[in-house]
Amino acid sequence: MSPTPVFELKNISKYYGEVSSLSSLSFRIDRGEVVALIGPSGAGKTTLLNILSAMLPPDDGTFFIDGKPVSSLTSRRQRARKLGIIRQQFDLVGPLPVVHNVLAGRLGEWSLFKSLLSYLFLQDKELAMHALHRVGLKDKIYEKTAHLSGGEQQRVALARLLVQKPEVILADEPVSSLDPARAEDIIGMLVRLVKEENQTLIASLHSVDLARKYFTRIIALRDGQIFFDLPVDQVTSQQLSDLYKIMEMKEDAEVC
Amino acid sequence: MQKFVDLHKRNLLSGLLILVFVWSLFSVNWGPDLFHSGGKHTILQMVKSFFQPDLSPEILQLAVTSAWRTLAYAVTGMTLAILLAVVLGVLASGILYNGKQRIWVKSSLRGLLGFMRAIHELVWAWLFVAAVGLSPFAAIFAIAIPYGGILGRIFADMLNDVKPEPIQALQSNGASRLQLLCYGYFPLAAADMISYTMYRFECAIRSSAIMSFVGLGGLGYQIHLSLDDLKYHEVWTFIFFLIGLVILVDLWSRFLRKRLVS
Repeated sequence: MSPTPVFELKNISKYYGEVSSLSSLSFRIDRGEVVALIGPSGAGKTTLLNILSAMLPPDDGTFFIDGKPVSSLTSRRQRARKLGIIRQQFDLVGPLPVVHNVLAGRLGEWSLFKSLLSYLFLQDKELAMHALHRVGLKDKIYEKTAHLSGGEQQRVALARLLVQKPEVILADEPVSSLDPARAEDIIGMLVRLVKEENQTLIASLHSVDLARKYFTRIIALRDGQIFFDLPVDQVTSQQLSDLYKIMEMKEDAEVC
Repeated sequence: MQKFVDLHKRNLLSGLLILVFVWSLFSVNWGPDLFHSGGKHTILQMVKSFFQPDLSPEILQLAVTSAWRTLAYAVTGMTLAILLAVVLGVLASGILYNGKQRIWVKSSLRGLLGFMRAIHELVWAWLFVAAVGLSPFAAIFAIAIPYGGILGRIFADMLNDVKPEPIQALQSNGASRLQLLCYGYFPLAAADMISYTMYRFECAIRSSAIMSFVGLGGLGYQIHLSLDDLKYHEVWTFIFFLIGLVILVDLWSRFLRKRLVS
């Protein structure tokens, strides 16, 4: 018998009004997998990630995290230990120094008193230093976060995830606002850190090249359905061009 | 099409308002009685005294102590107002609550803040003078209550307007609501909150001066006394001190803002 998967989805559906955003998705993701989620805009990638992060309840179907229903993750601490989330660069607190943004990854473990004390005397400072060292930002520890470049800010977000140490990392378009070189730098670093920490990663991406280069499995979504779900070496160029092909007939029909 | 109609309506309204204004000019009695006949002389006297403020040692000393008192009322009143505003503002923003409770707490506290600032500080001053007499507490409470109401309302709005992304990220880090407040809402809104508080502090100094008209010492009280005696030279001395105070606070707030933004 195979070990319990991290995520198990059976016929998950989500509707926005009449329109179905996700229709009857089923798949499982095992521990240690590095999965890229690709597909054209509006395919439902973000909706799926929001369901996986337990922020959005599905309208239909069953969904298990570690073999248990999501509702079993009741306390904020439990949830933070299980799931870490990284989005676009705008999710840091700009006016705070870098170190406090990194240590925010510990808030689930800290009491209110300890988190206030940390403003005066840094708590778990070594943890933050070590994390910043691993993402190559050790010299920016006391800098105001808003002054950092986009790529540096995403590295701060990576350091925050290192400090939070969740079992699973969900990344929603983590590099969509960066130039290609910096995007590759961040994705490479994210995948490397996930492997070093034995975590599981599911990342939605715009760049097919990055998905093929760094990930082991690709789930392609189109119109809220799974277009293909394959190990990366079995994905063909034909499948990819079909995935992004614009259906002229269908678009015309919708306009009328 | 919709937009064109709206624009058209707005122009129509503007035209209507201009017509009402022009019409209102006809109801003014443009005769020689429009100004008080002795007014011209008084105004001339005031302008002349502007260039010759009374700088005798007694008046200067009186001005310094009155300015100090005005400043003290404003500082103490504002301190109390900030305390009130932070507590009530956070509660009125509703960020600490969820669900049904939230709407109830939010609207009742917004109502309370509205009540506090609906009554002008001068009226509060009268009420408190009637209640506790001519004591400094009357002045301090008279500033603290309406200013607490104004600041509280603005703080609540600023906390509500904070960008949602960083807050969601902190939630996924496992932050509690109070931790969200200290690590998300406050740092994100701090610059705006402090800058607005400094502006209000400037207003509080003017209010503190005016409030003392009701008999609570300070610059306003002295201006009032000198005006009654038609001593315009002295009036200007006190007004210059008031302007000086406001400029000092403005410089301080500019310095603070610069440090916050960089």
